[in-house]
Amino acid sequence: MKRFFTLPAVAALLLAGPPATAKPIAFQNGWTAMAEYGAGTMSEAQTYYAPKFWYSIGAGQLRLDADDGSFSRDITYLRTNALLKRWNLPKAQGNVFAFGGIGRATGSDFAGAETVGQAGLQADYETLRFYSSAKTEFHHATAFDHRIDTVQLGFAPYAHRYDGVATWVVAQGRDYTGGIYSGVEVALLLRLFAARSWGSVWFEAGPTLDGKLQAMTMFNF
Amino acid sequence: MLKSLTAFTLALASTFAAAQANQSITMKVDGLVCAFCAQGIEKKLKGFAATDGVYVNLEHGLVAMGLKTGTDVPDAELTSTLTDAGYTVKGISRSAQPLSAIQKEHGE
Repeated sequence: MKRFFTLPAVAALLLAGPPATAKPIAFQNGWTAMAEYGAGTMSEAQTYYAPKFWYSIGAGQLRLDADDGSFSRDITYLRTNALLKRWNLPKAQGNVFAFGGIGRATGSDFAGAETVGQAGLQADYETLRFYSSAKTEFHHATAFDHRIDTVQLGFAPYAHRYDGVATWVVAQGRDYTGGIYSGVEVALLLRLFAARSWGSVWFEAGPTLDGKLQAMTMFNF
Repeated sequence: MLKSLTAFTLALASTFAAAQANQSITMKVDGLVCAFCAQGIEKKLKGFAATDGVYVNLEHGLVAMGLKTGTDVPDAELTSTLTDAGYTVKGISRSAQPLSAIQKEHGE
């Protein structure tokens, strides 16, 4: 796929407009479980427990498949997420998260299993009708380095009620380094979420410009 | 005669006090923009023995809780609870209105 735009350009667009994304911390004493299928390029499952509203600990499994079929990698990791800063405004909220972890990786392009470190940052800003987020995560092992950068910009056709179903239309751009994907993977997503007395459910799905499926689901309880 | 008058006055005062007793607490909260994220607030507030229902209104940035008869929760505990849930409390008020009246007032 050709590069239609660069990630810095998307980031600039993000900063110019208002921003909500899947947060790695639910609430104090809350659990988060997430699973994502990223257009055949990545798939990931994660689960976290938050002892406080500002940090969570958990584990995940990430699978990466290069778009040219040259390699695949599987990373199993332990990770901690921290809320570095939150802005609670009368009609909006902004957040900056940092995360880091360690795990083991196997791949078709190297022998055996390697220790892999990961680190990343995520920022989001949202109102009831507009939303944006930017996330970067870096993985390092002796055999490879790669980064996954994701930006999202969305709007809601209506302001959702607490006990209702929220609907969002979200544009997502994702850039992979390390030869995983050439160009920026762009997807248009329909996001739905709802809070119920037993927990919250989140589901989003849509096609990429390549016609592949991008989907994510999340549960907080 | 004086005894009867005193008893009547006390009974009247008691009835009046009961009628005026707080039945709900309303909190103005900043950062309340996502039902998915605000669920922690409801869980926390339901943990108080005094709580008789929780109502969250995202559009107006308010959280209200019904109180069981004759109970209350100190402001400091409420503020601490919402702060621990990740939100900023801008004001707390009590009302003799039941929770259902507050919901109705906000169009629900």
